[in-house]
Amino acid sequence: MTNSEKNRLKDKAFQVFGIFCTFIGLVVLAIFLFDIVIEGVKRIDWDFLTSLPSRRASRAGILTAWVGTLWILVLTTLIAFPLGVAAGVYLEEYGKKNRLSSFLEINIANLAGVPSIIYGLLGLEIFVRQMRLGGSLLAGALTLSLLILPIIIVTTREAIKSVPRSIRDGSFALGASKWQTVWFQVLPASFGGILTGIILALSRAVGEAAPLIVIGALAYVPFTPSSPMDEFTVLPIQIFNWTSRPQEAFLNNAAAAIIVLLIITFMLNGIAVYLRNRQQRKIKW
Amino acid sequence: MPHIDKELERLKVKLLEMWDLVEYQLQSGREAMLTSNTELAKLVIKRDKKVNQFDVKIDRMCENFFALFTPVAVDLRMVLAILKINANLERLGDTAEGIARFVKKLDAPMHPELLEKTQVVPMYEEALAMFAACRVAFTSNDTQLAKSIIKRDKALNKIYRKSDGIATEFMQQHPDQISEALALLSIIKKLERVGDQVTNIAEEIIFYREAKVVKHKQDKKKKKD
Amino acid sequence: MSKKDIKLEAQALNAYYGDFHALKNINIAMEEKNVTAFIGPSGCGKSTFLRTFNRMNDYIDGFRVEGQILLDGNNIYQKDVQVDELRKQVGMVFQKPNPFPKSIFENVVYGLKIQGIKNKAVLAEAAEKSLRQAALWDEVKDNLNKSALALSGGQQQRLCIARALAISPTVLLMDEPASALDPISTAKIEELIYELKNHYTIVIVTHNMQQAGRVSDQTAFFYMGELVEYAKTKTMFTSPKDNRTQNYITGRFG
Repeated sequence: MTNSEKNRLKDKAFQVFGIFCTFIGLVVLAIFLFDIVIEGVKRIDWDFLTSLPSRRASRAGILTAWVGTLWILVLTTLIAFPLGVAAGVYLEEYGKKNRLSSFLEINIANLAGVPSIIYGLLGLEIFVRQMRLGGSLLAGALTLSLLILPIIIVTTREAIKSVPRSIRDGSFALGASKWQTVWFQVLPASFGGILTGIILALSRAVGEAAPLIVIGALAYVPFTPSSPMDEFTVLPIQIFNWTSRPQEAFLNNAAAAIIVLLIITFMLNGIAVYLRNRQQRKIKW
Repeated sequence: MPHIDKELERLKVKLLEMWDLVEYQLQSGREAMLTSNTELAKLVIKRDKKVNQFDVKIDRMCENFFALFTPVAVDLRMVLAILKINANLERLGDTAEGIARFVKKLDAPMHPELLEKTQVVPMYEEALAMFAACRVAFTSNDTQLAKSIIKRDKALNKIYRKSDGIATEFMQQHPDQISEALALLSIIKKLERVGDQVTNIAEEIIFYREAKVVKHKQDKKKKKD
Repeated sequence: MSKKDIKLEAQALNAYYGDFHALKNINIAMEEKNVTAFIGPSGCGKSTFLRTFNRMNDYIDGFRVEGQILLDGNNIYQKDVQVDELRKQVGMVFQKPNPFPKSIFENVVYGLKIQGIKNKAVLAEAAEKSLRQAALWDEVKDNLNKSALALSGGQQQRLCIARALAISPTVLLMDEPASALDPISTAKIEELIYELKNHYTIVIVTHNMQQAGRVSDQTAFFYMGELVEYAKTKTMFTSPKDNRTQNYITGRFG
């Protein structure tokens, strides 16, 4: 066998291996989805969505859980969005390239890698105990905001970075201040990217159970929360709770709740993809 | 109008100003010759400096034009033509000055018989007419007219070729007027040069309009004959 | 030189990027309503110098200036000078057309809007005037709300010129304004510059020698951060004094 034949063979071999690797993930996901859908789809109906939790599997619903999830989503967005975007804008547009800024940068990157349970402990100490918020929606939202803040900051910076220098120059050259340039040019041009980042961060927050359990979110909440200070539960906690029960029927409930949770995440991801595509179509630098 | 066209126009206008001055010089030379007006002749000689100034100025303008606009195609040929026409006009100016110098040396008016026989007056008229027609051809970009001018040069050459014999005969008959006859002979020679210069200008006009080189073509034809 | 007033002047100007000495003791005076071309090989400092006239270099970390830049006799690097006020007087057009991702109209009136002008009639009038000045009005008057990014490259650059003119500057800085354009668009921009010099003092950086010849009255040749030669364009292009200038404009460098 000549050398080039060997090379071609290697090339082919790697191609096959690559295809195999690509499909492993997809296949596992497909099996998982298939399994969940088989188990859970028969439990999903209007009652399941509108019933309060119950000891009896057949009567139990996820009303409090998804309403709690919705509350958490909205509150987290309200807290994390302005904080994250403002921090991103500051670091990218205003921050001088000095030691402090590189220190901040490294730490933000580190924060993004901290396990979510640690955030839970942090939230427990600061929000629940020091600020005496208790196991409330607000404490939960604040904790999750901390969790996704680094992601939002990083994606905001990336989105802002993708706005070409020439746009800023054009604005400055016309006598615009930094604030005007950011507000009228940079943010509108990078908004799609920022939004995409936020939605992806939120879809991560929606799936988190651990930090919320740590701060004291309850599995059994017999009412829907009506203010940010109410106690709450969320879908992942409900799912966790049901899967830890021995009865088969509760496992079916869990599968059904997982379907609902997945639909919410897929929808969020879908919106993110849509926004990104629209942005790319609209602006070609 | 694009910038480059404006600059070309300026060049053309300058060249035409020079053209008019040279024409005026030639006409004045003729006037001086016919009337033996030495004062007028002196004036023509003095005015040649002005022609030379034009020559320098237009050279300079063309140089700047090449440097600043790097012309191509028709623009390039135009400036090249202007540059060469400028040189020809300058020589025509010198010719007028030369004629004036001969006139200045004359003590008395030319003998009418000599003028009559050598046909110098019609020759002068024809040279001036060719020169004027050439100006029209240049301003109106008329290559047909330019071609016809080249043909008209032959008539001048004919008169010039005959002038030797006529002058010799005249000098034998009037030995007291030899210097006059020689001066006239020189003027005729100058007029023949005027014809050549005008022909050259006409050739440049054809080159600029049609990108065709017409000069030196006739030499080849002659060799074939 | 003619009797026109001096509009822009640099006196003993030195500029540094950190330790790099980018501009070395530049002295130059530019007349009002004239076009001055800056030429020189890449990295010679001509763009840096151009950007000192509207202080666009201020945003670059480690950049600093010594000496003076005088606009109408006033040092623009004085402490009490506000850059936004300065830039209302000194407009700039960049190498690559950089329209904002907004409508044509919004692009032109942006400079006025950030000054707080909201009156629609005033904005509309200013937009028409500057688009006409930039020889773009006839091409876009029916599509003022179309995205500026849908215009051709040459149109975009003329839009950027209109945008700069809208805030009524007296000086127009142009950083290789035609280098990203096709020959036809380039010719249009050059014609435009030739028209605009009746009203504005224009400084243009160009790599294109012919362009410098066609549009400028004066030319300044920069080399390694130095101003080697500054003269009337005709003089420089027919008989440059410095050997380096000669080598550069004849394409015999290095």
